[in-house]
Amino acid sequence: MAFNEPVLTKRIDADPGKRKLHFYDDYVATGGYKSLRAALDMTAADIIKTVTDSGLRGRGGAGFSAGQKRSFIPREKKGLHYLAVNADESEPGTFKDRYLMDYDPHSLLEGVAITALATQVDVAYIFIRGEFHHEIKVTEQAVKEAYQKGIFGQGGIFGSKHKLECYVHMGAGAYICGEETGLLEALEGKRGWPRNKPPFPAIAGAFGRPTVINNVETLCCVPPIIERGPAWFKTMGTPSSPGPKLFGMSGHVNKPGVYEDELGITLDYAINKLSGGMKGGKHKGTICGGISMGVLGPEQLDIKLDFDDVRFRGGCLGLGTAGMIVMNEHTDMIRALRNCVRFYAHESCGQCTPCREGSAWMKKILDRILAGEGRARDLDMLLELEKSQGIMPGTTICGLADGTAWATRTFVNKYYEEFAAKCPEERPTQMGIKRGIRNVTTPMGSNTR
Amino acid sequence: MAWITENRRTATVERRSEPYLTEEIKAGLTAKYFPRYPNKRAVLLPALHEIQHAYNWIPVQAMEEIAAFLEMSPAEVLDTATFYEEYWLRPKGQYLLQVCRSLSCEICDSRKLTDHLIKKLKIEEGESTADGRFTLVELECLGACGTAPVMLINDVLHENLTVETVDELIAKLPASANDYHDPAVTWDEGDGH
Repeated sequence: MAFNEPVLTKRIDADPGKRKLHFYDDYVATGGYKSLRAALDMTAADIIKTVTDSGLRGRGGAGFSAGQKRSFIPREKKGLHYLAVNADESEPGTFKDRYLMDYDPHSLLEGVAITALATQVDVAYIFIRGEFHHEIKVTEQAVKEAYQKGIFGQGGIFGSKHKLECYVHMGAGAYICGEETGLLEALEGKRGWPRNKPPFPAIAGAFGRPTVINNVETLCCVPPIIERGPAWFKTMGTPSSPGPKLFGMSGHVNKPGVYEDELGITLDYAINKLSGGMKGGKHKGTICGGISMGVLGPEQLDIKLDFDDVRFRGGCLGLGTAGMIVMNEHTDMIRALRNCVRFYAHESCGQCTPCREGSAWMKKILDRILAGEGRARDLDMLLELEKSQGIMPGTTICGLADGTAWATRTFVNKYYEEFAAKCPEERPTQMGIKRGIRNVTTPMGSNTR
Repeated sequence: MAWITENRRTATVERRSEPYLTEEIKAGLTAKYFPRYPNKRAVLLPALHEIQHAYNWIPVQAMEEIAAFLEMSPAEVLDTATFYEEYWLRPKGQYLLQVCRSLSCEICDSRKLTDHLIKKLKIEEGESTADGRFTLVELECLGACGTAPVMLINDVLHENLTVETVDELIAKLPASANDYHDPAVTWDEGDGH
């Protein structure tokens, strides 16, 4: 297993000063759209088989097999098929899709076109979050070029019989639209409330039709796989998580940024070799893949960053998006957790009570601890609340609440001493022993800071 | 926040005689967005974006007009519009300053920026200056954690900020927000395809 050359970032210079946006001409001059032409000579089943054989797992957070996801789309076509590209990148710590769209938008469009061939898609929507103003403009310009160059439009992809339309759909600022069925609702002009599954999007997705939903990075992996084959792809990464991966390093490191390497590098390597080492003090903890995955503790620098080791040995939910937030020894972990929980309290769509109320109460409890009013019971309450919300205990429709749960679970358990120091057993006051829950914060909604 | 409760039964709706959803905006939506989706409702998000682009916020009357145009009930438009934070259902300043407050930015001292802006502009977070020039809000992750702390001024993202660079940025803002553009966009944007 070795990572010898950049794959996803081959057009993006490591030096930020030399980075250049590649539109159509530059993209083609550097080997672009070769894979799409090759894919036009393959059958849909062959393309799916190639992607499945490569072992490519979704880069959006769940790590589901990308080839398998495509194979769920009905073979026999009875109406329109859709492709929705998830570019609603809003998970704190994650900024890799922005990076790809900023400099190499056509690699995404090539991935879109190849995936459309494999799953007989008629219309592709690229759902970009509304705050990505620059990326929306770049992608719209790239799509416009692709229409002019005969990739999209009713003329067929490079004049073939496969016709594909592609549009950019601008989101409007809601984290939950990154959940695939929430995204579909937003596409249909509704509030982004995730849907109950089944039916899964592959059977009834956008506008009730079969829909493939893929993350930007996943789709960008497809052209290199078609060009160089599944065996080459598997020379990188680990047997269960093959391929290259973008690691987004942020927080207390000397050189934050997006770095490409193979899956399965250690956390120590990511911090010290990729991003120039710790800044401001020793390592205390790292959010391993967006805040919903939880935190890796100070002793876990040897954890391998792939879809399995982070989960089974690291005690987190998974690798997620590999957006790492590195924290040094001076970081207040209670504040850090409060920030994470506030995010979920703020972004909960409000559909399921355990998530809406649970995250709001968890934030209130953490506010209380930070105000110096913490009690031992608060930690028990936090751990009880986190156990009762999410898909895993089966109390919510989508996984947003699991994010709150894993962040809380890993923070409280891995830094228990730090939390316990702020939460003494009982606290006598002038009024005697306090009983019941006293809310020292303002009511939800009036002040969310 | 994606879910809010508000008493609208007693709210008064300000109206004006000329429509917000002008024939020109309607024609633009019909030409650009109707062919993209299999039904009219899906044009709702783009329509709200267009109205906000034209008027800097979305008045209730405009939502009623959108409802009639897209053949849905005004309640459905309100239902969708209130869900998304980017839609301003009350007027905002010419320049919207949005400071990211999520974890990467917070541990890189984003609070210093907000506190500085609160002092400098003499407004609280969520408020607008009396002259209508600035509105200050904190928002959740902007997806630029590697260059934290970051701030959006209207459509333009500013990265690796300090109190000093924020001061410079604000001093350099043009008199009219219409003259404020993303300097990295060097191509002709046109009307899409």
